[in-house]
Amino acid sequence: MSSHREAPEISKDPVADSTDVYAFVSPDKPDTVTLIANYIPLQGPAGGPNFYEFGDDVLYEIHIDNNGDGRADISYQFRFTTEVANPDTFLYNTGPIEALSSPNWNRRQTYEVTVVSGFSGRVAGTGLACPPCNIGPLSTPDYAALGAQAVHSLGGGISVFAGQRAEAFYVDLGSIFDLGDLRPFANLHATFGLPGLKAGPGVNATNHLNVHSIALQVPISAIRRSGHPTIGVWTTASRQRVRVWDADNGENVDSGPFRQVSRLGNPLVNEVLIPLGHKDQWNSLPPSDDKLFAGYVAHPGLAALLPDLYPGVFPNLAALVKSGKPRADLEAILLTGIPAGIIPGFQNFTGAVQADMLRLNTSVPPTPASKQSIYGLLGGDAGGFPNGRRVTDDVVAIELRALAGVTYPLIDKTFKPDAAAGQLTDGLTPASVSSPPLGQFPYLGIPYSGFDNPS
Amino acid sequence: MPSQDAKRASGPESSGAAGSRLSRRSLLQGAATAGAAGLAATALGAVASPALAATSRTAPGQSPAREQARTPAGPIVVHVRDARSGDIEVFSGTSQTRVRDQDLAARIARAIG
Repeated sequence: MSSHREAPEISKDPVADSTDVYAFVSPDKPDTVTLIANYIPLQGPAGGPNFYEFGDDVLYEIHIDNNGDGRADISYQFRFTTEVANPDTFLYNTGPIEALSSPNWNRRQTYEVTVVSGFSGRVAGTGLACPPCNIGPLSTPDYAALGAQAVHSLGGGISVFAGQRAEAFYVDLGSIFDLGDLRPFANLHATFGLPGLKAGPGVNATNHLNVHSIALQVPISAIRRSGHPTIGVWTTASRQRVRVWDADNGENVDSGPFRQVSRLGNPLVNEVLIPLGHKDQWNSLPPSDDKLFAGYVAHPGLAALLPDLYPGVFPNLAALVKSGKPRADLEAILLTGIPAGIIPGFQNFTGAVQADMLRLNTSVPPTPASKQSIYGLLGGDAGGFPNGRRVTDDVVAIELRALAGVTYPLIDKTFKPDAAAGQLTDGLTPASVSSPPLGQFPYLGIPYSGFDNPS
Repeated sequence: MPSQDAKRASGPESSGAAGSRLSRRSLLQGAATAGAAGLAATALGAVASPALAATSRTAPGQSPAREQARTPAGPIVVHVRDARSGDIEVFSGTSQTRVRDQDLAARIARAIG
């Protein structure tokens, strides 16, 4: 998955587990960028009576580096507070929730946003209401309206939303983690001597599941540094160092400074490129330390596996892996941005510092919907991943293809990618997501209701 | 380490394999939240770099001098990392202090023994 349950420790702490980051020039407000960080993966919509919510004990942040050193120049911090109106009922709601002010809503969250720039911080909003989870037609009869009420202005042209949304990331987890037997190509898989598999269409494992999203829409002029059109974006979650279960009071006591436990910039980096023994460490460090992990990008294990998993399908990739040449194409895409002169008319290079950040060249206007490619830059569409990431970009296919060698000619024009490399996919498209994205902020689709998606 | 840079670190700092990070900002925050004891511990190598929002919430409007004079209102958590060497971490609010006190560590060990 993009970053759902991607590391051993964070997989046990879903409230702090970042799942996806999106960053794009807002299609309907092109003088702004939209930044989205998703948390709490794989939510079954019917998971009541204690429905999903952000952690009051977690510090959530969205960071922006605007000078290319892999460190945050601007951070948006989010702290949540949960209130229970009536502790004497087991119910999340005692009647229909038709507005965020509804007295029928028993357990609700609000949050505070602090903007940190340099050494100073400014509280930009307090008491901001999250929407409830989408429960069903009796409890949340007009969920779209509730979601719209939960879009708040922070002043200065900034909008914010925090709450449940439909999972937009589509991926066939069942096949990918079954030793990479991508269903459309399963008939070509080596199968380890076991009976052969038949090719088939992909299955979106995240369909009908929800996440919790933190979304910001910010004027480009407020975050871009003069002469540096490309920003680097990532999210982190942090917890205090100590937690003690106070059995007398039946509550946790947290103490000490906050420490980072989750990080996410580019999709699938910690998930697919970083080995198990270093994933937790990767989650604890800032992008400016990613030189420590650059070897796993330059020599990705999955690129070496593909020729073994699909015998005879990737001979050119196999030769490239055998040569031991570093994958400078992947290093550029994921760690430094793509320099000028590689792709005509495009660059999102941020400098020599190797840092996993989602890089968005904010001077590239949004691509009209009719001309978008879900394969982003690989599809000739500079408005999509890896120039930022839109909600509908097929990052699984883009990264699979890049790993398989499709992007290696960017740095070695004599290399000829295997024919199959450009076709790699888990067989899914945005149509595999049942709740479509919205046309306006916060863009992610309406979350699936428990009543309509009971299992 | 890169975090010697005056620029704000990317977030709460790590105690991971990359080692402790001591930034100018973390010193400022350590002083603001932990008082002189916290600052001294930071100078010894411990890291006290709470996120800014959490820090301001813990001690709104509080000057370092005033906070130094009072006892923390919340619980204080003590972590004896190594009783033999007296390596002790003390946590309160969003601050931490690391001290080396073999006598104190021995007394704590006896108390639970």
